Amino acid sequence: MSGFRLPQCGRIDRSRPVSFSFDGTVYQGYAGDTLASALLANGVMLLGRSFKYHRPRGVLGAGSEEPNALVSVTRGPGRFTPNLRATGVEIYGGLTASSQNRWPSLKTDLGAINDRLGMFLPAGFYNKTFMWPRSFWERLYEPAIRRMAGLGEAPTEIDPDHYGATYAHCDLLIVGAGPAGIDAALEASATSKRVILIDEQDEPGGGALADPALWPWLEESLKDLAAAPNITVLSRTTAFGYYHDNFIGAVERLTDHLPHPAAGLREKLWRIRAGEVILAQGAIERPLVFAGNDVPGVMLASAARTFLHRYGVAVGKRVALMAAHDSGWLDIFALARAGVAVAGIIDVRESVAAPLLTEAEQLGLTIHLGHSVIDVHGRLAVKGVTIARNNGAAAARLACDALLMAGGWTPSVHLWSHSKGSLAWRDELGAYVPDRANEQTRCVGACSGKWNFGSGLVLDALPTPRDPARIKAFVDFQNDVTARDIRLAVREGFKSIEHIKRYTTTGMATDQGKTSNLNGLQIASTALGLPVVDIGLTTFRPPYTPQTFGALAGHAKDALFQPTRKTTIDGWAEENGAVFELVAQWRRARYFPKAGEDMHAAVNRECRAVRASVGIFDASTLGKIEVVGPDAAEFLNRMYTNPWKALEPGRCRYGLLLKEDGFITDDGVSARLAPDRFHLTTTTGGAARVLNMMEDYLQTEWPDLNVWLTSTTEQWAVIALQGPLARKLLEPLVSGIDLSEQAFPHMAIREGTICGVPTRLFRVSFTGELGFEINVPAAYGRALWERLMADGAAYDITPYGTETMHVLRAEKGFIIVGQDTDGTVTPYDAGLDWAVGKKKPDFVGKRSLARPDIAAAGRKQLVGLLTDDPADVLEEGAQIVADPAQAIPMTMLGHVTSSYWSETLGRSIAFALVAGGQGRLGETLHIPMPDKVVTAKVSGMVFYDPAGARLNV
Amino acid sequence: MLLIHCPYCDEQRAELEFAYAGEAHIARPDDPAAMSDEDWQYYLFVRANPRGRHHERWRHTHGCGRFFNAVRDTLSDKFEVTYKAGEPRR
Amino acid sequence: MSDSLTRAEPVSSEPFAAQGVTITLAPPMARLSLRARDRATLEDLLGRKLPAKIGATAGEIACLGPDEWLLRSAQGAAIPLGEGLPLAVTEISERAVCLIVEGPRAAEVLMAGCPLDLELFASGRATRTIFETVEIILIRSGENRFEVEVWRSFAPWLQLALTTAAAQLR
Repeated sequence: MSGFRLPQCGRIDRSRPVSFSFDGTVYQGYAGDTLASALLANGVMLLGRSFKYHRPRGVLGAGSEEPNALVSVTRGPGRFTPNLRATGVEIYGGLTASSQNRWPSLKTDLGAINDRLGMFLPAGFYNKTFMWPRSFWERLYEPAIRRMAGLGEAPTEIDPDHYGATYAHCDLLIVGAGPAGIDAALEASATSKRVILIDEQDEPGGGALADPALWPWLEESLKDLAAAPNITVLSRTTAFGYYHDNFIGAVERLTDHLPHPAAGLREKLWRIRAGEVILAQGAIERPLVFAGNDVPGVMLASAARTFLHRYGVAVGKRVALMAAHDSGWLDIFALARAGVAVAGIIDVRESVAAPLLTEAEQLGLTIHLGHSVIDVHGRLAVKGVTIARNNGAAAARLACDALLMAGGWTPSVHLWSHSKGSLAWRDELGAYVPDRANEQTRCVGACSGKWNFGSGLVLDALPTPRDPARIKAFVDFQNDVTARDIRLAVREGFKSIEHIKRYTTTGMATDQGKTSNLNGLQIASTALGLPVVDIGLTTFRPPYTPQTFGALAGHAKDALFQPTRKTTIDGWAEENGAVFELVAQWRRARYFPKAGEDMHAAVNRECRAVRASVGIFDASTLGKIEVVGPDAAEFLNRMYTNPWKALEPGRCRYGLLLKEDGFITDDGVSARLAPDRFHLTTTTGGAARVLNMMEDYLQTEWPDLNVWLTSTTEQWAVIALQGPLARKLLEPLVSGIDLSEQAFPHMAIREGTICGVPTRLFRVSFTGELGFEINVPAAYGRALWERLMADGAAYDITPYGTETMHVLRAEKGFIIVGQDTDGTVTPYDAGLDWAVGKKKPDFVGKRSLARPDIAAAGRKQLVGLLTDDPADVLEEGAQIVADPAQAIPMTMLGHVTSSYWSETLGRSIAFALVAGGQGRLGETLHIPMPDKVVTAKVSGMVFYDPAGARLNV
Repeated sequence: MLLIHCPYCDEQRAELEFAYAGEAHIARPDDPAAMSDEDWQYYLFVRANPRGRHHERWRHTHGCGRFFNAVRDTLSDKFEVTYKAGEPRR
Repeated sequence: MSDSLTRAEPVSSEPFAAQGVTITLAPPMARLSLRARDRATLEDLLGRKLPAKIGATAGEIACLGPDEWLLRSAQGAAIPLGEGLPLAVTEISERAVCLIVEGPRAAEVLMAGCPLDLELFASGRATRTIFETVEIILIRSGENRFEVEVWRSFAPWLQLALTTAAAQLR
């Protein structure tokens, strides 16, 4: 038993004992403890196994910099969180935590064989070794390595917790509620600024929490802040990323510290926009690099002081200090004053400031100046250390159960670096400090390099008489990178820290090298014989500490993941058993199966009904744009390929829209309501894109045109009535419109009322049958649909979905933009020459149609395909070849774009994009499939009623 | 997430409300039919893509709906100025 | 409007109440999009003044862009279409529905997904903006009252998002 709880000190609540479990053993702690402090108080020094060598590891730090003590916490089914730092896990009654990366148990871990083989696992080992045979990599090497290496297990169940998110705005955001951050907030409390002060720990105070002399000040200050109406303090909140224009992402942890089940959100994502940011993130103490510096019980001196003063825990019963910096002396003095036995102070420096020596003598501590620790004894816990003079002479052994390291301080410049602030190297600190700001931000306190911990010696590793190639002196504890690995990388030719980092993986673990980056730099610098600034510095990127996926997703999950757009008629479709498909964000009824029907049976029945009597289809999702103004016709004439100026009010026209590169981007039937008013339709998926494109031309190319565009997609519910009986059904319901063929021909529009509701009634057909598209104000769509269904029962009215719509349009040779075209298809490629106004001097895309490549022979063109076996329905996307006997890889002529069983024709039909297709009519082509080769003849695209006899009735 | 000054709204608004719209000051030729294939190809496809000061278009899609021009440094991501469509190049 | 057809709304008209905020579907109203390069042509047509500044409102009319106004009124007033004039009047009454978010914590609920600084968004202001990925028009019609216009197919998602955010208030 090496650690223990001290009787007096600490900020824990001794009136509230808490029991929790770690690896199945139940322990006692107090409210206010972290898992790390509570385990140390119980004498548990061994908290985990390392990533690569499976070495026993304890606690190195006391905060979010902790690289070693990673644990998993279970809060019930689906609530499993791996890789939490034990130094940040607050304990509560019933907390269930476990160690990671060990088997069968933490004390007896078979993976630790890697540590014995460590001589054979140098930097780049995996890249160098598991090279051949190639096929072994996927099947053998990688799975085996994955099992051996790694952090905690990924959870496998769906996370049942809820997460929130919000935006917030403030004039001043302060990150870090240590003394510097609190001072900045107090200063701002006298102003009218809106201030947010955030801090990652469970209580504000930062470093002051480990300094009882500051507690009265802290208490006063927090009272003042609580009383200031302009200041919001967020605890347990980590600012994880600093983005453009003072946009900061932060996660507030709301319930992880409470016994479960806890009510409410688990975490909340704060998206904060600040006028000014003050970073007061403090500094992180640096470990020292020497053999055995990772044995459980070797830790940062500042961490030992935090465990002492904040949690009332002594990290050992007989503690030694290995220092290169004055601050460690102050830490060990604090332990000595609290009654902890001190095995000795070892300092690599030959001399230190006189007041430190005086105080050490007063406390009766043994001092070894000019000495270094050259070995640590014990495997699962420190049993003692061997020290030697820096010249290698006179080794001695000290008995101790904990060793503190004081290697100096590294300012926490993570967020500063996210904001792209520049850094300057300070030799005397052996660290980079913030230099020039890139945003409205500044650093205060220790993270700016200003601290009052005294001074120290900056060095790459402690001197040792042992062969540096034969000792494990750790630099990156989490990724198991040693000083030897970095020196090896340099010997192998790596010169930039960016390369050394990737080769050795130093600084690439979940802690992003908080405790290791600068030691790694110093070692590389020494090995290369170059100053640190010439080697570079790796880039810090968000997140500052790992965050849960749940927090980043915020409320965007389940039904709120993204909107599913539903038409006003969707509810009827759902109640009547429709099977749905997603088209863009819309949910559309695909088919309406009756009992016992599969999709094909349902679609065949729906197709028969439309051709024989009348079908009803919800076309509300079609994009609609109202184009209004004196120049409306002129504008459309410039946008679309065909002429629009002569279109009479009351008539419709098919419009084909190209991009300026000449390729089809959208199409739709549009109507002229009045000389200055058009009702455009677009494809469902193209609505927003087309409106944006039209606005672009209107606003920036032709701003002189007096015409305005308004999306009316959602203003209108659209019901398509298609089939020979459509007029009969409609006639009694409509007033103010003569539905006769003479008065209301195909491709016309009339305005009137239907069932008393205003309507824009289109006579159009995407099926080849007599058809109407009834536009009514959206709120009435469902009622009208139900009325049509009721009245249509006499005509065997049949609701049909998008699948039937696709079959019927294909029978008529109508394309679907985006299915039969792919952004490389011109109107000529699609066989839509008739839709191009060749006499028009200009329209969007016209010039490109004359480009040599567009006019060249052999382009892929849309054609029909009829399989020799009429029962063969081709697969959409299947590739087409001329000669199936040719050698692989074959020359592909094109692919099938649409393919259906046509119930009307009693055979399959298909469209395909085929090289030189329009010149291949009648030619037999081949479609090789896994099980056979299908043969098909190239045909025209209109398979049904080519004369349009069924339309004009 | 950037803050972008909309020259029409005369306000800084969150990038979420905006959509990028390519390089600015590339006017559609008055008479495309009169252009050589090479000039037309240049108009269609060739863009400056500078390292540094870039003239570009944005649209305040989820705001006033207007397209406007901006000068932005492609290295720092910082906007130098935004101005209305049709105004001279800054 | 109709004797035989009944309206259907995309979301429940049942008010939602949480600590410090209620969310209610506004009754149907008439909406017109008014467009003109020159404000005066519209003012002449309508016989009323339009707000000049983007984001401002004057009575039933909000200025959303340099050439765009939104007119919302409880009763559908007959408005001339101004055929042949350099302007555009477009009927959009049913394109959107309006959710009223009201109460001392209304701004807090909206800021769950809206990136605007609503503390600085004065009463009487109106703007098109976004709530997460969904476009809205936000009108502050009182110190503690916001009207949120949203296209009808997005309304169920937005209503769920707002009521969820309201229920999560601490």
